[in-house]
Amino acid sequence: MKVAVVSRSGREIFKGGIDLSDSATVADLQEAIHKRTKKYYPSRQRLTLPVQPGSKERPVVLSYKKSLKEYTNGNSDNLTVVFKDLGPQVSYRTLFFFEYLGPLVLYPIFYYFPVYKYFGYKGERVIHPVQTYALYYWCFHYFKRIMETFFVHRFSHATSPISNVFRNCAYYWTFGCYIAYYVNHPLYTPVSDLQMKIGFGFGILCQVANFYCHLLLRNLRRPEGDGGYQIPRGFLFNIVTCANYTTEIYQWLGFNVATQTVAGYVFVVVAASIMTNWALAKHRRLKKLFDGKEGRPRYPRRWVILPPFL
Amino acid sequence: MAGFLSGLRRLYLTLYNWTVFFGWAQVLYFVLNTLKESGHQHVFDAAQKPLLFAQTAAVLEILHGLIGLVRSPVTATLPQIGSRLYLTWGILWSFPETRSHVLVSSLLISWSLTEITCLLLLLQIIRYSFFGMKEAFGFAPSWLLWLRYSTFLLFYPTGISSEVGLIYIALPFIKASEKYCIRMPNKWNYSFDYFYAAIVALGIYVPGSPHMYRYMLAQRKKALSKSKRE
Repeated sequence: MKVAVVSRSGREIFKGGIDLSDSATVADLQEAIHKRTKKYYPSRQRLTLPVQPGSKERPVVLSYKKSLKEYTNGNSDNLTVVFKDLGPQVSYRTLFFFEYLGPLVLYPIFYYFPVYKYFGYKGERVIHPVQTYALYYWCFHYFKRIMETFFVHRFSHATSPISNVFRNCAYYWTFGCYIAYYVNHPLYTPVSDLQMKIGFGFGILCQVANFYCHLLLRNLRRPEGDGGYQIPRGFLFNIVTCANYTTEIYQWLGFNVATQTVAGYVFVVVAASIMTNWALAKHRRLKKLFDGKEGRPRYPRRWVILPPFL
Repeated sequence: MAGFLSGLRRLYLTLYNWTVFFGWAQVLYFVLNTLKESGHQHVFDAAQKPLLFAQTAAVLEILHGLIGLVRSPVTATLPQIGSRLYLTWGILWSFPETRSHVLVSSLLISWSLTEITCLLLLLQIIRYSFFGMKEAFGFAPSWLLWLRYSTFLLFYPTGISSEVGLIYIALPFIKASEKYCIRMPNKWNYSFDYFYAAIVALGIYVPGSPHMYRYMLAQRKKALSKSKRE
């Protein structure tokens, strides 16, 4: 079989095309491209079927597991695929690790070291109990996230563009410092003991629930499965599509009830709006995929992310 | 009903744009007149009233985009209008010490000329859209179209450098006055320092200005090539 690899502007990238056996898979094609141009390793390649010019339709992305034959309509020995270079890639594990490492390391610096000297505050700092609990809570949270990254999460995509590392790290690290600055401030004003206990208690509960949600999601995506979408079920997923985000948001809410900083609430609002976008997209995708027609199960009625609002 | 509403919309947009146009024309007139009569130190005081009026009215423009009255995306209008509001109210109005600087003149001339050409074109487009022409672009006089998409080539750089320069000049006054600052301790564990906010604002200009300039260049290419085809 002969495969013509063209760029998005239609120019042929490998003169004369690539010859492959008739039983070749998309992965074989990716390997062949990699062999010709060393820098285009498979996860850097995006291969699609060509679309009619001017058509608004989204191109079909080739799945590496499938055989090339499946994309030829069965009658031709020639196939044209469109190649796009996604740029340098890093694995999602690496991306998440560096995102979470920042807050985990930076927050304690504000607690343990005399940083406020450099902001013009002189004299001894009296540490309130809530500030110590907040440190443990914060570090536990990011430690949990790093552990989940390595031992729990199964990623639908293996890699992400390297530019995301810089963007996401900037987001997590600056917000981490911004919140840490206020919670550990020498002029910090604590809330009542009861409010602190309610906040941390609720937050811990949500973190445990969040961990359980992640376990459920892991079991949804079995390694031997086809990586496709499935209806999440069990525990809070019976009520909310993205219960993992719900618990994550409420967990931060607990932290903020206990520590009461504007910085922390700003973070929750920003994080919640980002996650809401993802949740809406996922909810829509699941509803479209499981429409109850032709034997497909129907997606049950559920909240998207934030019951009782959305 | 739909016809009535679209008529109402057109009437409102015409009125709004004429008002703002009049405001900016006044700004330009006062600036040039003051420069000729007395000198650049008095430019702001002379143009203050129409400037504050026209600039504040621009808030409505963001609103128009949000409720879908006009098609321009909020992501394009917000940074431009936000930065100008910050300059007029947050710097010039709040810190009178900056007003006598010569950059105020170049700032106001750049802003008003860009706005005037933009508004003239807009008014033309609204007028022609009355005849139910979908692509009103082609019916506006081509020299006006060219002017609107060319003045920025010069006045963006002058305007933006004046903005950056004036923020920089205001920095020592901002620091000394402690205006708009919130200090710890307070119940919500919050603090705000207008001085650092100004530095952050300056930092945003670094990637922001080339981004806006490139955006306008793309708009220029789109608009001028479109008019040529028709």
